[in-house]
Amino acid sequence: MESAANTPLPETGDVSQRGLLRTVWDVSFRIVIRYIKNSYKDDPFRTFLEVCLVGFIIWYMTKQKYNIGTNEVVLTTKEIDELCEDWKPEPLVPELTEFERETLDKAVLIDGPNGIRVKLASGSGKQVLNFASYNFLGFINSPDIEKRAQEMLRKYGVGSCGPPGFYGTLDVHMELEKQLAAFVGHSSAILYSQAFTTTLSVIPCFSKRGDIIVADEGVAFSLQQAIALSRSKVYWYKHNDMADLERVLAEVNAQLAGRKSALPRKFIITEGLFQNTGDITPLDALVELKHKYKYRIILDESLSFGVMGKRGAGLTDHYNLDPHEVDLMIGALNNAIGASGGFCCADKDLVEHQRLSGLGYCFSASMPGILTVAAADALHSLENNPDDYLPAMRENSVHLRTLLRRIQGLQVEGSNESPVVHIRLTPETLVRMKRSGGAWTKTDIDRVLTELTDEAQKDGVLLTRSMFVDEHERLMPNSSIRICVSAAHTKKDIEKCAHAVKSAVSRVTSKKR
Amino acid sequence: MGKGQRAATAYKSTEYISQQRDEDGLITHPFTAAPTSSSSLLGDKKPTFTLVTTYLSYLMLIVFAHIRDFFGKIFYPGQYVQLREQNGFAPMVSDFESLWSRRLYGRIRDCFNRPITGVAGGHVALLERFSRDFNRTFEFTGRLRNVLNLASYNYLGFAQSEGPCADTVEQAMREHGLTQGSSRAEAGRTQLLVEAEETVARFVGAESALIVSMGYATNALSIPALVGKGSLIVSDELNHSSLVSGARLSGAAIRVFRHNSTRDLEKVLRKSISQGQPRTHRPWRKILVVIEGLYSMEGEFCKLPEVLELRRKYGFYLFVDEAHSIGALGPRGRGVCDHFGVDPREVDVLMGTFTKSFGAAGGYIAGSRQLIDYLRLHSHSAVYAEAMSVPVLAQVLSSMRMIMGEDREHALEGQQRLDQLAINSRYFARRLVELGFMTMGDKGSPVIPLLLFNPAKIPAFSRECLERNIAVVVVSYPATPIITGRVRFCISASHTREDLDFALKQIDEIGDLLELKMVKGNDAHMQAALKKLE
Ligand SMILES: Cc1ncc(COP(=O)(O)O)c(C=O)c1O
Repeated sequence: MESAANTPLPETGDVSQRGLLRTVWDVSFRIVIRYIKNSYKDDPFRTFLEVCLVGFIIWYMTKQKYNIGTNEVVLTTKEIDELCEDWKPEPLVPELTEFERETLDKAVLIDGPNGIRVKLASGSGKQVLNFASYNFLGFINSPDIEKRAQEMLRKYGVGSCGPPGFYGTLDVHMELEKQLAAFVGHSSAILYSQAFTTTLSVIPCFSKRGDIIVADEGVAFSLQQAIALSRSKVYWYKHNDMADLERVLAEVNAQLAGRKSALPRKFIITEGLFQNTGDITPLDALVELKHKYKYRIILDESLSFGVMGKRGAGLTDHYNLDPHEVDLMIGALNNAIGASGGFCCADKDLVEHQRLSGLGYCFSASMPGILTVAAADALHSLENNPDDYLPAMRENSVHLRTLLRRIQGLQVEGSNESPVVHIRLTPETLVRMKRSGGAWTKTDIDRVLTELTDEAQKDGVLLTRSMFVDEHERLMPNSSIRICVSAAHTKKDIEKCAHAVKSAVSRVTSKKR
Repeated sequence: MGKGQRAATAYKSTEYISQQRDEDGLITHPFTAAPTSSSSLLGDKKPTFTLVTTYLSYLMLIVFAHIRDFFGKIFYPGQYVQLREQNGFAPMVSDFESLWSRRLYGRIRDCFNRPITGVAGGHVALLERFSRDFNRTFEFTGRLRNVLNLASYNYLGFAQSEGPCADTVEQAMREHGLTQGSSRAEAGRTQLLVEAEETVARFVGAESALIVSMGYATNALSIPALVGKGSLIVSDELNHSSLVSGARLSGAAIRVFRHNSTRDLEKVLRKSISQGQPRTHRPWRKILVVIEGLYSMEGEFCKLPEVLELRRKYGFYLFVDEAHSIGALGPRGRGVCDHFGVDPREVDVLMGTFTKSFGAAGGYIAGSRQLIDYLRLHSHSAVYAEAMSVPVLAQVLSSMRMIMGEDREHALEGQQRLDQLAINSRYFARRLVELGFMTMGDKGSPVIPLLLFNPAKIPAFSRECLERNIAVVVVSYPATPIITGRVRFCISASHTREDLDFALKQIDEIGDLLELKMVKGNDAHMQAALKKLE
């Protein structure tokens, strides 16, 4: 640049860029020639060396070029044309199987509001008791919340029309974040507009390529995806097996001991209340291991938030632990709270980091104001009167499990007080049901479970088979029917559910196939 | 107060830079070569002086950031413990990663995440805030500031808390409650949802549609259902983060082509198809080309007709993300296909969001019945994620019906909004060019970026606008290439001519203050830019 400034410029002042470049080139060329001349006079050997060096660099760079394209084949244009002509893609999506078609055609269709009792437009078309939706505290269809939501519509409209960074942060978002942090007992909180993608945003934000994740094998799909997206090194431990976890942690630490590079971040990732099994993580043991082996804990409390603990504040509340023991606590507002979206509680710095790096936060519109206020209202109710909700939910869960365990041929899963109850037919029952003693495929089992839910629906109880995208689950969970208990169910509802399951089981298992 | 001071220092630095430029006198007119009409404004005619000062400014910022960190670590070690390995724990955010956010973003944090209350309509109420500690924390004055909103994606002005759509939403909430507490595949499928899906399919001109409760998730969670190992995704280099996440999650190979360059796309395709999969050379199972309808940081449309031409020739599948274009483009508001007059069925996967033109939230995927039926059982969002809430569904339904003219009581309002948006966008874009600004974007785009270049001008523009009661979005690196920091105006049908004239007058003044009018005095270039907008 300097040399350009020193050369006389054309008077007109109308210097085209190309002209400028040419001047620069001319001048630098002249300088190079002068330099070579001078240095030749001083030291011909040096010039020789420099020329050799430049020659070597050029040779080296051109050589590199040929080495790059690993095993690319050099093709003529004609060959490329032919190959392009010949290439035929597979269909974009495969045809649905017969069973998938049935599943789709018979899918539950609700007419009107969701809640404890719903009217069906599909199947029986009757009003049924809902044991399929995550409505643990009964906030869905609560008249007070809905009334407030209608008022809020008149203040906030529906959509926020922008991501939080660009005028999408509402006052009610900030209030709800404060409220959540205070309720959980953590320093700070951040809201996301969909629960499922919360983990997908939070985890890759901190755990990057080269970092280490030790995760429970039984985690739900959103965590599996988040872990994949982070591109960290993953080690899996047996579901809820603390001894196995300790083995993995020790192994990883031993491997790291000999490293030369900087210490990677290390995380233990697990779920509070497991979606696929209905049991809870022994967080107290996990925290001990965390300190012993120096890991951080990322805990997905999507189902346990609002459910576990004396106040419903989640697993740290349940185990009476300092909430800060969980470094990143991820929660959902669509399950117990009955609204929509998710959140993450963490130290202030970590939350602020997410506001810049959380992809689902930065690049997506914020949560609608109506739903934010609905979540805040539900949370207020839980905060102020936990005893109106939690004991009933737990009693119902225990009661239902007790009744279901009495049913012949049925397997009942999950911690006693957990409102997520997975049921499936015992292997013996399945064997007995096969006429020829043949093996059961997954589709066969799913079909039987669907029959079970259909039968239960006839008795006025809405159940759902746990749905999975089979080909994408890391370890396919066992097929099951997932029953969700709510505080708003009455004792009679619970009994009706158990009864419906019982008669459905006896009807379905009596048929040989 | 604190804010005013900061703004003032920001101006000083820009003034300093611009003075240098006057003294230098080297490049008085950035565009001296005759502009070529075909290339985009930015293409190859960047003003050299601005280029150099911009890079220099970033260099200075980074050097200062490192110097401050260096001394900071010596004198205030307490503030840096988070960045060090301590007690056997690696830092959560590494020193290098956080340099940008602490030292560069931290200076201009006041320009982002500005909280609002109420509806983000044509005007919006900001919560007035200030900082005592250089943007580390903010305090609220408790006052509201009503500003003109040139920032929200409210293209058709459906961000409203009253009017026919809001009435429909209220009615729907009375009848259908609020949320489902379940995924679509389990127990979240309601009649309202089915009705909305049918309406969306009709609106975009596809056989069938699937609704997802978040726009980001629509991409991130649906692409993995379409392609996987052994398939290839060919993606525009400027694609949205959600598309990138979806592509990564799918496990397919990913190739990138130059933004909106069909030539480069063809080159990539020819090479990929002829070479097959890496190492094995087996033919690709599927190739999915992923583009956006309207690029929201550039205001540019995709070259749909040319891409479709390539699709016919090479037989790939085409995925078009219409997040910003659906509702906002085309004479009937049906997106890029409508804009270019092509049959939407030629596009294999039509994706869009309701967050922008419809004043709602969430997104959809539309296409053939076979595709959508498959996604209903195999896309992660349909199977695992929460179903869309009732008020959002009702908003989607009512706003779409209004655009389609199906709402009998307000039969004309939809078309009026479309027309108003088109008029507003063209007017605003043309006036900006006439004022001498360097803008980007295609004719009729409701997103109009104006180039600011220098990092000091980016916050200065935003603060000055706020001072004059206008809300704008400024974006810089890493969201844009390092050189082309910009302000992005989003025009809405709810803006009146007075609103726009007010904004233009203020922007005109700010342009003088910050020396942003780079095309001024260069008639040839201005004429070319205007011609592009005709
Ligand atoms: C191209 C594109 N796709 C997807 C999205 C995500 O949409 P949403 O904000 O509804 O999550 C956006 C939003 O900014 C976008 O620009």
